[in-house]
Amino acid sequence: MSNIAGKAYAMSVCSPIPWYSVWLKKLIFWAVGTPLFKPRLNGLLTLSLIHYARWVIVKPSQFPRLSEDQPREKLSYSYYFFFSNFNGSWLQYVDSFSSAIPDGLDMFWKWGVKYPKSVPMRPFHEHILFHQIWTEHYYSAYPMASSNDVKSAKRVKDELLEFIAHAEEETPEDFQKRYDRLMLELQHDLSWMEPSPVVSLSAAAVAKRRERET
Amino acid sequence: MANQQGNAYALTTLCPILSGVSADDPQDPFAGQSHTAYVRDFLQSLQSHENSPMAKVPSTYFCRFYLLSDLMYGGKPNSYDELMSNYLVFTANFHGPLEKYLEGMWNEARESIEKIWKHCVGFAGIDTADKFTEYIQKCQVTTTFFFNGSNDESLAEQLKALYLKQELSRFAFENQGKSPAELQRAFQAFVKRTEPANVNSPSWRPGQATLS
Repeated sequence: MSNIAGKAYAMSVCSPIPWYSVWLKKLIFWAVGTPLFKPRLNGLLTLSLIHYARWVIVKPSQFPRLSEDQPREKLSYSYYFFFSNFNGSWLQYVDSFSSAIPDGLDMFWKWGVKYPKSVPMRPFHEHILFHQIWTEHYYSAYPMASSNDVKSAKRVKDELLEFIAHAEEETPEDFQKRYDRLMLELQHDLSWMEPSPVVSLSAAAVAKRRERET
Repeated sequence: MANQQGNAYALTTLCPILSGVSADDPQDPFAGQSHTAYVRDFLQSLQSHENSPMAKVPSTYFCRFYLLSDLMYGGKPNSYDELMSNYLVFTANFHGPLEKYLEGMWNEARESIEKIWKHCVGFAGIDTADKFTEYIQKCQVTTTFFFNGSNDESLAEQLKALYLKQELSRFAFENQGKSPAELQRAFQAFVKRTEPANVNSPSWRPGQATLS
């Protein structure tokens, strides 16, 4: 059991929301996707540690029922699932949100049962921990890369291909000038990636056990 | 549709797990316990990173499995909710359409899929990619809001780009202070070795967790 795959952390949260808030929340999410309210997402974009995140609202009648023998769910609340793939530690992530976009967080979690608001941080931490579910198996296609690595790597590849396309028949001196410009252009995108450092004792224990088993 | 942002897809499924106990099997160390416990033990036994069965599934950026067997009760004055079934929650972020992804998943990870999902309601009789796709779609719940904080490149493009970023960083470090002619020769060798325009090779492997 691990929420960690290299540099990526899988956060899964499931919390109850009252029936009347379902459409209001859907309305908010719809509005956030429109140009008028899109600036409210700027904070999320600034928090460049996120690979992908999603919110899923499941009403009691929407829990999949695949057989007549499967008992029907009888729930008082709808459930609000949140899934995030980010790099860094749990604390860094939660505190970044709480500090950078408290209003946005409160807007997304508005009407959640016993939601304490994102500030102050301590009750917010407790709320998230109480509703968080641990992952049994987590996979990342690039455990050595952060979200920013993935984005900067695209810039490196694009610039490099462009550079090579113009490299025919030039003198070494002209090549050096263009190479220096390329390095200047990419100075914020070049970095050496390595296996993730151990970020939790449980992750280290899992890694040690797996080493013993193989 | 909120399941998609550009070419990135967010698949969310809740698969009801059978109640009762799985049949005892001396060849299977996990058998003879509840279906939920079987799935949990099996998932925890899977290898990680590039040895995960999901590393073989084309276009997978991220995926996770967890078990939803209880709902959180915050205390009075709220109502107490109890699930009638346990659910296997499987989510994936991948590039491209859902049907193609599930077909690739079935073709590349069928053995693990069967080990996991045979403990779920409605999975009996699933023996083709088409049937698996239909089954997963029955378990799918629609994403309300999907945030794509990455770029919209295919996994192969992303892995090649990461490989090039790593190799160009190394090249820049190792070739400081060289004369223009030496630098140009070294760069030509670098291009020949790394084949920047070839997306598939050389590149990082899906799930690669070490530099070797």
